[in-house]
Amino acid sequence: MRRGVLLYCFNTPETAYHRIANRCVQLIEQNLKLPITIVCDSSTLSQWQPRPNCDFVTIDEVDRTNTKLSKPWYNTERHLAYDHSPYDHTVVMDVDYFCFTDKLLRLMDTDYDFLIHKNAHDVTDRNTLKYNRESMLDLVWATVLIFRKTDRVKKIFDTVRLIKNNYQHFCKLYRISYSNFRNDYAFAIALNQLSGFVDFDSIPESIATVPADADILTVNNEGMTISSMDKQFTLQHQDLHVLNKEIADV
Amino acid sequence: MEPLELKKISDISFDANLQKYNALKKAQSDLITVYNNHIFRADAHTICLTRTLAETHKEFYMLDTNDNPVSITDPQAFLATLIARNQSALNTYHQLHQTLKNKKV
Repeated sequence: MRRGVLLYCFNTPETAYHRIANRCVQLIEQNLKLPITIVCDSSTLSQWQPRPNCDFVTIDEVDRTNTKLSKPWYNTERHLAYDHSPYDHTVVMDVDYFCFTDKLLRLMDTDYDFLIHKNAHDVTDRNTLKYNRESMLDLVWATVLIFRKTDRVKKIFDTVRLIKNNYQHFCKLYRISYSNFRNDYAFAIALNQLSGFVDFDSIPESIATVPADADILTVNNEGMTISSMDKQFTLQHQDLHVLNKEIADV
Repeated sequence: MEPLELKKISDISFDANLQKYNALKKAQSDLITVYNNHIFRADAHTICLTRTLAETHKEFYMLDTNDNPVSITDPQAFLATLIARNQSALNTYHQLHQTLKNKKV
């Protein structure tokens, strides 16, 4: 069975995502030691230096109208991950998810065909990630997906595609106040619907998330030093999801 | 107490609490372990239940973190895995906690 990591990376006028992805790839090579496939457009691909462990899939028909935190954000193709992945067992992760551990590798040693996080926490302990008042369903975090190619998983991705194509309808149905497309809600709705509106299997931990207003001072192979509200602290040997895209320049 | 001194003490306590918060979250994440293709949390509850069942059963069933039943065919190996994971996570937390204790006012 072939295992690997799938990344989506589309540079925007404001953010050089390939620079963030480059660091993400280094950590995958260091801690997961899995082959990597990067889905990007031609202009982003032109920024990459050849890497022996990486394959590239180029798609140029990308929705470039979406925004996130008031900035252009083109990462809306995740519903195609089932088709884009050349692997039997795939980890899809955001390029701003930095795996400082091999935890995801351990989670691949399970029978589950689809795993996703239901929880994330703000490492500055300000509860900036509480979205439970913004929709009628619990959010999931599509930051990391671990899936096998099964008929059931194909149906999950097909449902996400259906939701993406009718996103405003589903926003109204679930009273989601954030109307721009967001993978987290699309997967939450798909899993909610396919599981018969009850619970579904998940990764039993919370994603350590560095909020967008926290500054990243340094990053090395062990972790990063963060500054928030005039306080500095270092987090090491744990996976981190970084929302501040200025990490591209650190 | 002078206001500046109070602020300094408050800042130190805030820093220590934030570090404790993150260290505890990391420890909780580190407790996650995989056995027999299922996910378990190597916490006190899981360890105690495994130990108790292992006293009277050579094989038994437990629920994983998603409430799916798992056949435990080698209880001693499972218990050893849980304890190793638990102590690894808590040793790391303990080391950081000691550092924080020295910093606190």
